[in-house]
Amino acid sequence: MSQEFTVPLIIRGEIIDDAKIEHGGRRGGIRFRAPDIAEHLNKLMLNTPSKMADLYEISFEDILDYLVELGQRLHFESNPHVREAFRLSCMTSGLSESILKFHYSNLPGMFDRSEMRAMIDRSCGIEYLEGWVDQGSSRFPGLSARTRAFGARCVHVIAGNAPIVSILTVVRNALTRSDALIKLPSNDPLTAVALVRTMVEMAPDHPITKHISVAYWKGGDDAIESVVYDPRGVEKIIAWGGFDSIKHITRYLQPGIDLITQDPKLSGTIIGKEAFVDDDTLKAVARRLALDIGAQNQEGCVSARVIYAETGLDEEGVKRANRLGELTFAALQELPPHLSTPHKAFDQGLKSEIDAARLQDEDYRVFGGRNNEGALIVSQEDYPVDFSRILACRVGNIVPIESTETAVRSVNAYTQTIGIYPESLKEKLRNRLAFQGAQRLVSLGGAATMQHNMERQDAIEPVRRMVKWVTEEQADGGMLEGLSK
Amino acid sequence: MSDYFNQLLADPTSFHNAPYDEAFKLTNDQISQLHIEGARKRFAELRPGISVLDKLAREQGVEAINTIDDIAPLLFPHTVYKSYPISYLERSRFDRLTRWLGGLTTTDISHVDAKDIETIDDWLDLLDAKTDLTVAHTSGTTGKLSFVPRTKAQWRQTIVHSGVIIRDWWGRNSGPDIPQNNMPIIIPGYRYGAAAMQRGNGIQVDLYAGGEDNTLFMYPDARFSADVASLGGRLRAAEARGEAGVQGISQVLLDRRESLVELEKRRPEDVRKFFDEAQQRFGGRDVYVTAMWAILYDWAEEGLKRGIKNIFGPGSVLLTGGGKKGKDLPDNWREQVLEFLGFTNIYEMYATSEMMGLCMMCENGNYHIPPVIIPFLLDPTTGKPLPREDGIKGRFGGLDLMPNTYWAGLITGDEVTWSGWEKPCECGRTGPHIVPPVRRYGESEGGDDRIVCAGAPEAHDRALEFLAELSM
Repeated sequence: MSQEFTVPLIIRGEIIDDAKIEHGGRRGGIRFRAPDIAEHLNKLMLNTPSKMADLYEISFEDILDYLVELGQRLHFESNPHVREAFRLSCMTSGLSESILKFHYSNLPGMFDRSEMRAMIDRSCGIEYLEGWVDQGSSRFPGLSARTRAFGARCVHVIAGNAPIVSILTVVRNALTRSDALIKLPSNDPLTAVALVRTMVEMAPDHPITKHISVAYWKGGDDAIESVVYDPRGVEKIIAWGGFDSIKHITRYLQPGIDLITQDPKLSGTIIGKEAFVDDDTLKAVARRLALDIGAQNQEGCVSARVIYAETGLDEEGVKRANRLGELTFAALQELPPHLSTPHKAFDQGLKSEIDAARLQDEDYRVFGGRNNEGALIVSQEDYPVDFSRILACRVGNIVPIESTETAVRSVNAYTQTIGIYPESLKEKLRNRLAFQGAQRLVSLGGAATMQHNMERQDAIEPVRRMVKWVTEEQADGGMLEGLSK
Repeated sequence: MSDYFNQLLADPTSFHNAPYDEAFKLTNDQISQLHIEGARKRFAELRPGISVLDKLAREQGVEAINTIDDIAPLLFPHTVYKSYPISYLERSRFDRLTRWLGGLTTTDISHVDAKDIETIDDWLDLLDAKTDLTVAHTSGTTGKLSFVPRTKAQWRQTIVHSGVIIRDWWGRNSGPDIPQNNMPIIIPGYRYGAAAMQRGNGIQVDLYAGGEDNTLFMYPDARFSADVASLGGRLRAAEARGEAGVQGISQVLLDRRESLVELEKRRPEDVRKFFDEAQQRFGGRDVYVTAMWAILYDWAEEGLKRGIKNIFGPGSVLLTGGGKKGKDLPDNWREQVLEFLGFTNIYEMYATSEMMGLCMMCENGNYHIPPVIIPFLLDPTTGKPLPREDGIKGRFGGLDLMPNTYWAGLITGDEVTWSGWEKPCECGRTGPHIVPPVRRYGESEGGDDRIVCAGAPEAHDRALEFLAELSM
């Protein structure tokens, strides 16, 4: 099979396929060719805001119709662009083929009409997108105000670890009547292309098609980025990714540009003493914990890594933690292949750490971790492993603790999701965890469902921030005139 | 020849003061015999006394060494010499750290009472005073410190060994016999400390220079502190533990701050004095210089800036290694160093902190693996040994047969290509060699603390920067 791919440039419905420049990829040693963006810079950005007007000639229902139809055209069997994106992802992604197949076979499901409607209604309110909403009366007699949410001209620097990121970007852009330039990631340059290409084939002249572009260039290329991040053509930048990717962009920040970041995060787990009442309960807890660690091969920011367990620190307590490790490792091996599999590119640095930990049985108990099957490392003291930051590839670290206080104080601003057992503990800790920096609290096992994570992410509301909240005020002329006297 | 071979076979440690050129005249059959018999001997001797090796052997189901590849599963991951939990340091559990170290050496250290120790430096001093060990730590540039349990006798052997290498590398007696005819020692670094580089200082002063008067150090009175070097890794671990972690670390930092800030203040004066003395006392003389390339470059750059060139005599020698250490050096960095130093007699090595043997670079740019190191190339994903054929690339590992009290068998974080199995190097030396470049697997895989002590002051500087920020 060829490992050569072509990543077209798509600008507002125009597909440019003259792939002149070769780029190296990430995992899998793939290479791809893409057009020279510098040659097309003059038409990449929307420098005339008046061209946003066409988005306001269609209704919210029209937009939903469009997206639902798009979803119907994304079937894996019939859409060659989707298959090509899948083929490339199989080489670059940390997700196994079976998991990717599940994702790429379920693209149409992501365009469910009522889901999309509910999502945007919760985040912006459909009436705000559709018209001017009265804000009630004010202190000034006769003064009233109406607010409407307008789409903005945005650059999206998206992440490539899962296809959902491309889908979310396309859906959010359409529903908010925004204009998007998607900067493609080198580890998944084709999913967004597949979506937008299908849009062009479906409705080449539709305003939504005309307000989305996708391009790949090497991040940090000043000749391109000084144009892309110029406030004359862009109002908001939505940037996923690590320090380096954000660092590039901050060079171009100036008044007139709003930067919305979706930083890399880590997630964890807190398990209360109730989990250890009997072995059946513990087995159920272990299965749910395995899900939080193993789903999506622990490639996501929502994946659990360090697990605090309120077992106590005496000999019996540590034994309980070890039992949880044993059961969780077993449950991890039982996860269905569309959710989780042994990791195809197990981090060898992590492997060395696990191998060394296994020889320190006074400090750690290791279940698994011999090849790529994943592992549970149980600390024998109330201290996570020193390499907790690189836990990945389905490796969790169970830390026995005397009280959940230790767990609460270990949460910081990089903590995204915390899976908690039982529910009563979640309720008890939720305010305190929020003070510490946690951003999403879920029932143990629910970390990867992401049902309510679509419009609230990392404790911000990205969709709400993607739009411009414009206010129109009205007052009685006589009253205003009176103020001048 | 045969006496030499039989001596090595009977006692691989004797390699340290045997004529070095002989090592590269052995046939491949002789080398193989040395490897298999040496490995059997070390495994049998060391397994009962080293609990971690015993555990690994049980884990891997290796009871006897029948073929050379049976050793591969017994190589430690390079993380073993730093596998203690950082909580030992944060909670001042130096009794536990002592017990951990005891599991890695046959030297008895069980009598050491480290209960009341609070800093790594004090712990190392205590071990120096109460045991046969002089434990060396790595630089910790990117993370935790490794602790290598080398004995006092082994440290002396390594310095004798370097002397033999300098004497014989380019042919028997081709270089100066420094222990016989002492030379001034110039080291652009710390005089004291327990990092691998500093551990050799005292012995070099004695054996090579014949006394402190005949030496010049950049920081003649200062100690390279293990506590400071460990800060990077500890901070990272602390941050990962949120509020709980950061509160734990701050007291350790505060306690050390004053003395470190004092040292920092003196630094420019120390550097100035170092250059003055290098010119006045040692300018034009034949000297022995040792430091890693990256440190040499910093020194040379500063010297050239001051208008100093060709500072030492043409009969001087340089023992170095370590590559660019991820630093952004100009293309002609090597030329700049040589222009500053004024001589070209360079002994360049590839080595790791855990092994005593060094792989020296020949005139063709290859690093020759001495016969006391049993080299392995491992498949980077499966860890399985790769064939002993020329031109194969993989993760480098090795068992050094010289250390007889700890297991110097480990897997590095380096990707190398080897050769010399089928066709010897054109320099005429027999046996396997490493063909540059030596490349690190990802940062998270290797860490920067593989090669002997390199980058050490850098770790110090960063910690000091951090402290300076903290005190603002």
